[in-house]
Amino acid sequence: MTDKPKNILDITGTVLNIQRYCSHDGPGTRTTVFVKGCSLRCKWCGNPESIRMKPEVSYDPNKCDGKKCSICLKAPFPEGGFYFVEGDDSKVKVNWTLAAGINQEIVSLCPTGALEMFGKTMTVGEVMDEVEKDTSIYRNTGGGMTISGGEVMLQPDFAAALLQEAHNRGINTAIETASNAPWSFLEKVLPHVDTMLHDIKLMNSERHKKWTGVSNERILANLKKAYETFPDTDFIARTPLIPGVNADDEHMLGVLEFIKPHKNVIDYELLPYHRFGLGKYDSLGVIYELDDYKTPSDEVVKRFQTMIDKAFGRELTTE
Amino acid sequence: MSTDTGQKRVAIMVGAGYIPGINAVVAGASLAAGKLGWELLGILDGFEGLLHPEKYPNGGLIPIDPQKFNIDPNTGSVLGQSSRIDPFNVRTINELGMVEEVDMSDELLTRLKAENIDAVISIVGGRGLSILYQLHKKGLNAVCVPRSIENDIASTSVAFGFNTALTFTIEMLDRARLAAKAAQKIAVVEVLGEEAGWIALQAGIAVAADAVLIPEIPVDLQHVVTHLKNKMSGKKSWGLVVVAQGAKIINPGKTEEKVSTLKASLSPLATSDSNSEFVIHKSGQVAQAVAEGLQLRIAEETFPMVIGPWVRGGTPSAVDRQLGVAYGAGAIQALEAGRNGVMVAFVPPDVKFVPLAEAINKVRTIPTGSMFFQVADSLGIYVGNKEA
Ligand code: SF4
Repeated sequence: MTDKPKNILDITGTVLNIQRYCSHDGPGTRTTVFVKGCSLRCKWCGNPESIRMKPEVSYDPNKCDGKKCSICLKAPFPEGGFYFVEGDDSKVKVNWTLAAGINQEIVSLCPTGALEMFGKTMTVGEVMDEVEKDTSIYRNTGGGMTISGGEVMLQPDFAAALLQEAHNRGINTAIETASNAPWSFLEKVLPHVDTMLHDIKLMNSERHKKWTGVSNERILANLKKAYETFPDTDFIARTPLIPGVNADDEHMLGVLEFIKPHKNVIDYELLPYHRFGLGKYDSLGVIYELDDYKTPSDEVVKRFQTMIDKAFGRELTTE
Repeated sequence: MSTDTGQKRVAIMVGAGYIPGINAVVAGASLAAGKLGWELLGILDGFEGLLHPEKYPNGGLIPIDPQKFNIDPNTGSVLGQSSRIDPFNVRTINELGMVEEVDMSDELLTRLKAENIDAVISIVGGRGLSILYQLHKKGLNAVCVPRSIENDIASTSVAFGFNTALTFTIEMLDRARLAAKAAQKIAVVEVLGEEAGWIALQAGIAVAADAVLIPEIPVDLQHVVTHLKNKMSGKKSWGLVVVAQGAKIINPGKTEEKVSTLKASLSPLATSDSNSEFVIHKSGQVAQAVAEGLQLRIAEETFPMVIGPWVRGGTPSAVDRQLGVAYGAGAIQALEAGRNGVMVAFVPPDVKFVPLAEAINKVRTIPTGSMFFQVADSLGIYVGNKEA
């Protein structure tokens, strides 16, 4: 953003979607604003549509009218971007290399919605209009607004403005972040955050780089600094638990050791892995990298949960 | 640089994922270029050697001297190998320490110009072909040597790499058959073939398998069971089922997982490090599903086996060696004839130059009337399409 708008309501960001009535993204019932663009490339990512910052096309063959329609085989659709193969497969195929330059205007010519753009530019004002619809629910449940991603820290000005505006309107705020960003970005966003849910994906830096694309030194340094600089913010550490990647004692003990000295880290949550994102990879033409994984067994999750409960001085969790 | 005498400086590169025999193509191009007095250079690791020369002690661009070139097929690829070759989406860590994909196609063209390279020979298939076409539209003088293990590139009757994969698959199926016989079980062997079933069908015929499941014909497992039961009603109490990786199974049984993989369309948006011709992680899914599905419906025990990634190593077959040399030489001939933006195609008995625009967006699958189906039928191999 070069020309910064004077009014924070006019600051824009790239938003993937806004989901109401969320119950896992912070306290109470919340509206979650998913921003687009991520600064990691986790091989197990379940949200491929949120990885890249710019809006991009997706294709759902189930909705395609095929040869009866054929609209996307002609201009203004990009040459070679869409095609049919011989045989009885009546659905269009996408050449993702040649279709990459397509925009919303062109995509909207697809009559069935088989082609769709992921991601749109929205102002803080527009997002807040949506968020404010459930103010009474937030009040009754102790909920509020959460910014998730993608990575919220990729759009620090937009995120800070949105969170600030939520506070201005008396709405509780939370963010979900992997914290791979310059500290100055976190410093901009965090003053407006009541709860920060943050991932710790792997404690071993080399393995972190292998599985996510970057090493973890800056992430851990950011987290430590955040705990210390913002004592009134609640922090909740989280790990997407994947057997063969991080579902082991070493990781668990490492995380518990890391967060233990900080009283404002109020919990450590496990997110047992499920194959949520697979269909989405299909429709974006993205190759899913981690096909060989398993979901962690109930026993493993229970054992780790016991370790966490013990570390937080809690009684055993009921199932 | 091109000179008045028509001498050229040509670079050669290879697409993502290793297949045996790359050196044969390089040898062919090098000898043919040498004969014309042209210079041939190898770009290391896809386009990486040009985009990031600083990573290489030798600069990432190596001279290939026909006098000194060693055609030994056991030495791997002289061009190195890469898991990603898309210059439109190069994954980098930016100055803020964040991962992003950037378009480096302009830089690539600038680098080629700076190195006075007149044309690039690209040993690619599948998505690499589209990337090459896109680069050609931006001004790159490009010639493609088609490579495909599955032999799914249209416009050429055989792509480089297929014969080696087929040869190896047959050898392995022979072993699987003996293992099945020894164990008195049904071996379900998964072979490569995401969109085209050439390897499965041709290898299945060569070893006289009991059934061959291919992407071209969705198959109801119940029909396979009926066929197997008929074949196994006498003394024979073992079987061999060949399944292509992309086979479409109508009712796999208990396994609800999608058995076809996600490679239907490859994307520049790919998050993958291995966006080559297939992703190794996915191997085994369809074999597992079919083996389980059969076992639920039949008395005999089944066991899944996966050949998949094994075909990526080893030495090229005799056919691929000579095909590779011919394709390499053919690429130089195309440039000599003033053709670029083309793919060298083998359309027996000719070598032809097919415009890239005609080669993309087509998949060479087994046509309905193929004589391979008739052969399979006469051998008692179930391939689907009809009640057993
Ligand atoms: S325009 Fe849409 S519905 Fe029509 S062929 Fe293309 S993808 Fe299918």
